Amino acid sequence: MSNHDNKSAEAPGIAGGKSPSAPLIETINLYKSYFNEDLETPVLFDINLKIESGEFVAIMGPSGSGKSTLMHILGFLDVTTKGHYHFKGESTEEKVQDDLARIRAENISFVFQSFNLLPRTTVYDNVLLPLLYGTTPVHERRKRTLKAIESVGLADRTMFFSNQLSGGQQQRVAIARALVTEPEVIFADEPTGNLDSASGKHVMEILQNLNKEGHTIILVTHERTTAEHANRIIHIQDGRILTDEKGHTKRIASQVKQLK
Amino acid sequence: MLTRDLVRTAMNGLTRNISRSVLTTLGIMIGVGSVVLMISMGASFQKYILDQVSSFSGGIFEIHAKGLQEFGKETQSISTDDLDALSRLSTVESVAPVIFVAGKVRYGTEEITPSIFGSTKEIFSNFSLTVEHGRALTDGDIKGGQDVAVLGSKSAEDLFPSEDPLGKRITIGTRKFTVVGTLKSFGSPLMGSMDSLIYVPISVAKAMTGKVRYVDYISLQAKGDLSLAEADIKSLLRQRHRIDNPEDDPKKDDFIARSFAQATGVISTVTLSITIFLGLIAGISLVVGGIGIMNIMLVSVTERTKEIGLRKAVGAKRRDILIQFLIEAVSLTLLGGLIGIAGGGVFGFILARLAAKFLGSFPFSLTPGSILLSIGMAVGTGLVFGIYPALRAAKLHPIEALRAD
Ligand SMILES: Nc1ncnc2c1ncn2[C@@H]1O[C@H](COP(=O)(O)OP(=O)(O)OP(=O)(O)O)[C@@H](O)[C@H]1O
Ligand SMILES: [Mg+2]
Repeated sequence: MSNHDNKSAEAPGIAGGKSPSAPLIETINLYKSYFNEDLETPVLFDINLKIESGEFVAIMGPSGSGKSTLMHILGFLDVTTKGHYHFKGESTEEKVQDDLARIRAENISFVFQSFNLLPRTTVYDNVLLPLLYGTTPVHERRKRTLKAIESVGLADRTMFFSNQLSGGQQQRVAIARALVTEPEVIFADEPTGNLDSASGKHVMEILQNLNKEGHTIILVTHERTTAEHANRIIHIQDGRILTDEKGHTKRIASQVKQLK
Repeated sequence: MLTRDLVRTAMNGLTRNISRSVLTTLGIMIGVGSVVLMISMGASFQKYILDQVSSFSGGIFEIHAKGLQEFGKETQSISTDDLDALSRLSTVESVAPVIFVAGKVRYGTEEITPSIFGSTKEIFSNFSLTVEHGRALTDGDIKGGQDVAVLGSKSAEDLFPSEDPLGKRITIGTRKFTVVGTLKSFGSPLMGSMDSLIYVPISVAKAMTGKVRYVDYISLQAKGDLSLAEADIKSLLRQRHRIDNPEDDPKKDDFIARSFAQATGVISTVTLSITIFLGLIAGISLVVGGIGIMNIMLVSVTERTKEIGLRKAVGAKRRDILIQFLIEAVSLTLLGGLIGIAGGGVFGFILARLAAKFLGSFPFSLTPGSILLSIGMAVGTGLVFGIYPALRAAKLHPIEALRAD
């Protein structure tokens, strides 16, 4: 899977220093293994990470390095094997599945590489979907759904079926679906991976605007140009954090490229 | 998740593949349809039998000696004195005593072995007999000990296939009788045995059998309330037979007294169990339909694994997924059930019409109760066979589900 040098990677010092209030996301010595019939596949090792509210983080790294796995754990779609994950200062290890579902419904959202829209369903109903599982009052649903669709520039496609849209449009629907609940964090796993450069750029602009509006964005990407939109880049290799740097993302992104 | 949203979501799931949803419900339609048909036919059959019996039995009571049923033997239980006492009861309208006569009946080369009742003219009203030709027995026949006979329609046909029976001389045992009347048929297969009875004066029957002091059977017509008459009759007979039986235990009596209302109770029980039995057999097809539902729901869960993963990713709880798929299953069975009820009802109605052609009359019965029961069974089938696929869906891991292709 990965054909890079096997450097001994240190857990890096966490950027941003100490803050009096708890960070939005904090992992302490987080490990993740997959188990298939007693066969253990360790994927993440000793991940220590702090992400503050309002950051725009890009996670980069070679294929198979564990980027998606980390993102799924941070997004409550999966659980750790060892170590701790605090969300908004709260420990998450003893939360039951329904608690995790509630966090997914109210605090976070996902944008996937393959857009994952409901087939044979309108744009409107696709975007509305997360509201059905949350606590948004029924009378506000319509307004918020239309607003989300409009903010990704698809107002004129509201009643189109998902299969009547281009890939870029479908991903914008997925973003509208992600922001309709006004989540604190939006996770995007290679959101531009299936798009041409123009559509990809459009999607990234939308994400950047969302970040400016205060949403925390955590993005996985292979592409340097995509990572440049972020203001912090975490580089993962073989399940460990290799580098974690803030600011000057253009420079960092090109360094990451060289590491490869 | 709100119930309204759950229902809407489930409906969307179903309408995204309408043709399959409809095909799936076919099994349930047939299953529920046959349950409805069987229940309806069973109830119609019961109603038919009860109609037949009650046309014959309003307010009628019968008493016979215990252990009797053998023709030609005198049972010493109900005496002619009992008879007189019974006829004086204020709750009794009329009394028709019967002595059973055994013997072959011959006319020319024809020979039959019917039941022969030696009785009085009251038997004709108690049994709701109608004279077709000639006349019934009269008081004069009884007093005079006339050797006359009235033939049930079946006996008349058997003995006189091509002749008019009136005035003809038939032989019962060794004695010659003149046919003075024939009776109308009851017109129902159920009452067929009544049509072959032959009636002779009780005085002649006494002379033929030597049963002088006792009778075999009494048919009484109650005056007013049936249960009052029953109590009167029983206490009178117990008093006269010196039987101490205040607890009304039929085992202690030396006679059996029962109303036709009780007999119809027995009939109801029998036809009800037939109905339940038929319903259960039809229920098997419902189970087959249910397995079809389970099958399709499992296919649907597999096909929509990605959708389930997505729903979980945007916040669906296990319960939300479980209920969504349960509602889908129940909607399928409910839809199939409603169509099945309509179909089974229509088919049952047609069958009842056909049966009426052969039986003279045959009621059609489809009660709200049986419709509710069928709806309940349809919903139950959806729940029972939907729960496993729904649980499978609810238990899916969000990431693994999203990775599915
Ligand atoms: N269910 C699983 N069982 C076993 N191993 C798994 C499972 N899911 C992922 N892995 C392994 O975990 C490692 C990390 O996978 P992950 O999907 O996180 O990589 P990634 O960094 O997102 O890669 P890519 O850039 O290709 O998406 C891979 O080696 C993969 O084989
Ligand atoms: Mg990945």
